[in-house]
Amino acid sequence: MKIAYYPGCSATGSSADYEKSTQAVCAALGMQMEEIRGWSCCGSTPAHAVDTQLSGALSARNLDLAARQKADMVLTPCPSCLSNLRHAAKRLENPEFRAGVNELLDEPLSEKLPEALSVMQGIARAYDTDAIAARVRKPLAGLKLAAYYGCLMSRPHEVMDFGDPENPTLMESLLTACGAEMVDFPLKTECCGASYGIPERAMTARLTGRILHLATMLGVDAVVVACPLCQMNLDLRQQQAAKEAGVAFSMPVLYYTQLMGIAFGLAPSALGLDKLCVSADSLLRKLDQPAAYSKAPEGDKA
Amino acid sequence: MRIGVFICHCGSNIAGTVDCAKVAENARMFPDVVLAQDIMYTCAEPGQAAIEAAIHEHKLDGVVVASCSPRIHEPTFRRTVERAGLNRYMFEMANIREHVSWIGKDKEANTNKATELVQIAVAKLRNDKPLKAKSFDVNKRVLIIGAGVAGIQAALDCAEGGIQVVLVEREATIGGKMAKLDKTFPTVDCSACILGPKMVDVAQHPNITLYAKSEVEDISGYVGNFSIKIRKRATYVDWDKCTGCGACTEKCPAKKTPDAFNELVGPTTAINIAFPQAIPKKAVINPEYCRQLTKGKCGVCAKVCPTGAINYEQQDEVITEEVGCIVAATGYDLMDWTVYEEYGGGRYPDVVTSLQYERLLSASGPTEGHIKRPSDGKEPKNIVFIQCVGSRDRSIGRPYCSGFCCMYTAKQAILTKDHIPDSKSYVFYMDIRANGKIYDEFTRRAMEEYGTEYIRGRVSKIYPDGEGHLIVRGVDTLLGEGVEVKADLVVLAVGVEAAKGSPHLAEKLRISYDSYGFFLESHVKLKPVETNTAGVYLAGVCQGVKDIPASVAQGSAAAAKVLGLFSRDKLENDPQIASVDMKRCVDCGKCIRCCPFGAIKEVEFRGKMYAQVIETVCQGCGLCTSTCPQGAIQLSHATDNQILAEVNTLCQC
Amino acid sequence: MPVLNGKELRIVGFLCNWCSYGGADTAGTARAGQPTDLRIIRVPCSGRIDPLFIVKALLNGADGVLVSGCHPRDCHYAAGNFYARRRLEVLKQFLPVLGIDDRRFEYTWVSASEGQRWQHVVQTFTKRIHDLGPAPKLEDPEPLLKVVDMALTSLRPLGTGQKNKLDELKAAIKAKLPELELVIGWQQGYDAARTVPLFMRTPEDVDKLVWGPFNVNNPAVYLPQYKGKKVGIVVKGCDAKSVVELLQENLINREDVTIFAMPCEGTLDMARVNQELGRYTTIDKVEYDEAGVTITADGKEHRFCMNDYAQGKCYGCTMPTAVISDTLIGTPTEVKPGPYTPPELALLDSMSLDERLAFWRGQMERCIRCYACRNACPMCVCRDYCIAESREPHWISQDDSTRDKLFFQTIHAMHLAGRCTGCGECQRACPVGIPILALRQQIARAVGQLFDGYKSGVDPEAVPPLLGYEVEEKNIHEREWK
Repeated sequence: MKIAYYPGCSATGSSADYEKSTQAVCAALGMQMEEIRGWSCCGSTPAHAVDTQLSGALSARNLDLAARQKADMVLTPCPSCLSNLRHAAKRLENPEFRAGVNELLDEPLSEKLPEALSVMQGIARAYDTDAIAARVRKPLAGLKLAAYYGCLMSRPHEVMDFGDPENPTLMESLLTACGAEMVDFPLKTECCGASYGIPERAMTARLTGRILHLATMLGVDAVVVACPLCQMNLDLRQQQAAKEAGVAFSMPVLYYTQLMGIAFGLAPSALGLDKLCVSADSLLRKLDQPAAYSKAPEGDKA
Repeated sequence: MRIGVFICHCGSNIAGTVDCAKVAENARMFPDVVLAQDIMYTCAEPGQAAIEAAIHEHKLDGVVVASCSPRIHEPTFRRTVERAGLNRYMFEMANIREHVSWIGKDKEANTNKATELVQIAVAKLRNDKPLKAKSFDVNKRVLIIGAGVAGIQAALDCAEGGIQVVLVEREATIGGKMAKLDKTFPTVDCSACILGPKMVDVAQHPNITLYAKSEVEDISGYVGNFSIKIRKRATYVDWDKCTGCGACTEKCPAKKTPDAFNELVGPTTAINIAFPQAIPKKAVINPEYCRQLTKGKCGVCAKVCPTGAINYEQQDEVITEEVGCIVAATGYDLMDWTVYEEYGGGRYPDVVTSLQYERLLSASGPTEGHIKRPSDGKEPKNIVFIQCVGSRDRSIGRPYCSGFCCMYTAKQAILTKDHIPDSKSYVFYMDIRANGKIYDEFTRRAMEEYGTEYIRGRVSKIYPDGEGHLIVRGVDTLLGEGVEVKADLVVLAVGVEAAKGSPHLAEKLRISYDSYGFFLESHVKLKPVETNTAGVYLAGVCQGVKDIPASVAQGSAAAAKVLGLFSRDKLENDPQIASVDMKRCVDCGKCIRCCPFGAIKEVEFRGKMYAQVIETVCQGCGLCTSTCPQGAIQLSHATDNQILAEVNTLCQC
Repeated sequence: MPVLNGKELRIVGFLCNWCSYGGADTAGTARAGQPTDLRIIRVPCSGRIDPLFIVKALLNGADGVLVSGCHPRDCHYAAGNFYARRRLEVLKQFLPVLGIDDRRFEYTWVSASEGQRWQHVVQTFTKRIHDLGPAPKLEDPEPLLKVVDMALTSLRPLGTGQKNKLDELKAAIKAKLPELELVIGWQQGYDAARTVPLFMRTPEDVDKLVWGPFNVNNPAVYLPQYKGKKVGIVVKGCDAKSVVELLQENLINREDVTIFAMPCEGTLDMARVNQELGRYTTIDKVEYDEAGVTITADGKEHRFCMNDYAQGKCYGCTMPTAVISDTLIGTPTEVKPGPYTPPELALLDSMSLDERLAFWRGQMERCIRCYACRNACPMCVCRDYCIAESREPHWISQDDSTRDKLFFQTIHAMHLAGRCTGCGECQRACPVGIPILALRQQIARAVGQLFDGYKSGVDPEAVPPLLGYEVEEKNIHEREWK
């Protein structure tokens, strides 16, 4: 099984910490990934709204590069990239669409293109929960976390194939294997406001506020995300959300890879924890002194 | 042979897109056809009279009618030719309506196709032989499967008509879903008060034999003479001794047993009686929770039982009953709504089904008629009802309307206000379907007198807000904006599906069922009670969604069919069955091996073994005929030569 | 009647009365428009549909045949469609060997309520047939003559079997003979290079028994006529498979039959031997060695190495010793199964559909309709009541037409589905050398592939695949109507 890696544009900019922690976690697990040589934009937000054919061609080009690298699957950390890659693959089943894309590209596409999956799925396919638990050096015991997938990861269901579109549970199973307590987070697939953070700031603040509020009410230590834009909206805009909601939030928002990295005992610097707006120090302290924080009567078990 | 061909116009139904005169003209060229005419309505009285007259006048010995589907009028025309002195099997039909005029607009192609269909009917007829039915005795007893309100009605009507009834119920008590309801719409009658007396009648009627906690295991035979195997499930209580005093249920220590009758709201004891008015009022042990049966020690119920009725060793028992016909009244179940992850997928205790809510409302329910929400037992103030959960939803493969949810939701909203006067109910609906007698008036009352807030739109999300409420987020499509309601309790009007195991039972009954498991009636409009299997009738929701009045009506209708069938002492068999040409049979046993009915046996004749068809058991599928390499066993009226004549007519170039 | 010129093609439908015919009615009632090509024949159940009706239609001008029944589990007759599913699938896999495009035949399940589905099925199937165009007629192509390539490699070394202890076998037969009415075997024919069947009733008869590469006949063909009598039979491995199959079908009783077996090292393909010998007056002598036979005819020596002149079936034979026997002389030879496509089938496999049709046209023109193929077949138990010569039922005319001759071969092949052991007697008996075995081989291959490698003639207790069913078939899946 040869895996190609498609980082996506955020990885080189706003979500460098996601990129860093993804690479670190995969390396720690021993998962070999080869970056697609000469990868380009997936045809993200603006392009597919204007012309699916052109945007599809961009995604198809990247899949084709992976095919030429003899990859069996393509992994990407970003749900938006994943959505575009998978949509393109789906649309390419239509011969007319394929012909149109071939016309746009320098060379016709390879007959068979590798399937695009999220890095999360890639990890889960390669390592069962026992294998992941075996890699844990510093269990996340005592941490109560809310998994937040965002709107894109599981939708549309027939394209993304990421479990139940309303209630995906993959992130929970990975982090439970790392020792964390995962709460049932009903808003896990709600909208975070996405790219409306710029034109409709108040709306985005209201949407993120709702998510942060419920997470706070559920008493979690952190919200765990898998999407660069979700992370930015929930983390960077926490003060805007607080202003809109009229309550203060102090909710660390981490990538699941950062938490897995912590559990694997990787250095915080290797996971880009310093890039978070709301510091994760409270989590790390809790992990270092579990007894002090465990107020449950059976606390001595820890 | 002298064959007459009659082409039906069916008004403009056929003649609109088929040149019937031309078809008749073409038919005159076919071998043995001495007469071909087109008639406006062959099935109408003048049409049938014309056929009869032509048979006499032209000395016809075979008739072809080209009209609608033989599934509709083959029996009609068979009777017509019989009246004129022909054997009823010297008749063939060409379906030029459903298969020609209604599906194509090209008149030339239709006329040509109709001609060919007539031609193959003529070819088949030329190979037809007169067949004689044999008569046999009818066992005037009826099996009714399912003792909900439809089955109860059918049973009582049959029993009153003097017929012996065998009533089989899967659950421990009869009454079905209606017994679980608190009140019924649109009169807000107490359900137990109107059903209870009927249930008692069932128990007391001398013509009714009731098997509760029993299931039909196997059905063999044919109309007039079915043989039924009934599996009586082990209840671990000797019902002959049990008086229903309830001493055992008071003392049983396994108090966390799920209560199926109460729709799993609240627990019960491992030995229990479903509800105070249960019929039969007998105790049943749930073997999965009984401490004696699971852990081998307890035995409390045996100790307290004053009649010594407890028997931990009891086994299932299989009983055979012989009946002449069968009524299926197996009802429905609610679909598994937990597929709706947006409603919490079953993770939130305060999201309940309408039937669970019915138990919360009921005075005999787990909360004794006080509405308490399951999570913390608090009285809810804001209650949201969501309609069409699993109905009219293509995304989960349930495109049909469950029929009665609009009405019972209105009823539940009214009852809620009665129970908790300071409560507020919200109903998210798609359309309100209130098309019964005083139904629309009833929903209006819920809105206008009881202040229920009806919001037209779907709910996209239910989630707990972490402070003890459920946030119900939906859309109001009339205002065109999103709505959020902070609710204490959410009631889902969960869609109806055929009772669990319906397809399995249909296979035993040899009747058809649709893709949702509902049994298929003979004709959707004109034969809603009959099935395509002779002697099997339908009543209630097992045939399709309907409310209580319609279920009762169909129960009575099924009883009328049963009484009609049993008004005769003898029935005639269908002579379209297989028979063996002994001189061709080599006794290889292939037909015996594959006959689905065990209708072929080996017999000895002059020192050699042969296959022989048991005439009353053969159902006429013809599997044996297509299996026998030498064609020694032939299905009458669908012989190799008859089908070959049709094939050869179509394919001869 | 010819099809409507230029507009329609001939499509025949066989629909069960209860579900699909009702589904077609439902479609009609809903005015669900459909192409007009289809002509529906109503049958009680899809289980009633003899696959031969379909072949009959396809050979006689149908451009497409559509079969539809109740959905599996929903049969009005409980299980008719389960049987139909197996038989129709075998037929579908068989049609291409005749040169008929299997896309011209389809089967599906439509319930009485599925009017829309029926409309979709008819539209899709009619479009498919129109895309394929009118079906080629058997008489259309020029005859194509091709010969079977017999340059084969055997799975095991072939020989003449002369090391076998024939005397021991004879002694064993003599010992059992008093209990038996007769024992069937081989004796020398009119010269030393032929054998004919031997019916041993006395010890003197037993002395005439021969064993060697000329024992080509399958003596099992005589067994059913002795049903109920105590008889013995001498068998090669392949003959024993026929015995097993007869036992499975209740055509003989195990306790009545005494089986004598010796390991077989192969038998000669007499057609090729005769071709090599050419015209001759007398066989002077026949000499055996380990690897072959030398025949001296009219003073001229002809050498026949077994590896070059064996029957096609011997090269792929994995059961040279009887799977079932009462007396076995010698030790069974183990042969590991290997990749092997029978040469006749390989020839057909190498051709296109059009070529196959042309091939059968040429071959059937040579057929003299003598029925030697049928008479030599040990599984043809209908005997005097073969439907080839009957009028009740009247499947086939007595015309000397290539269609009817090919149809007869199809009848034989379909009747052998799941029963043929590949003994090859049909083809060996053919006086004009038509490789008809290919048709039976294709049926056997389809049965094997569909039913977990089922092989006929191995287990007398096995349920023949076409007389059974699975509710969920592992290898049969309905094709999607897209």
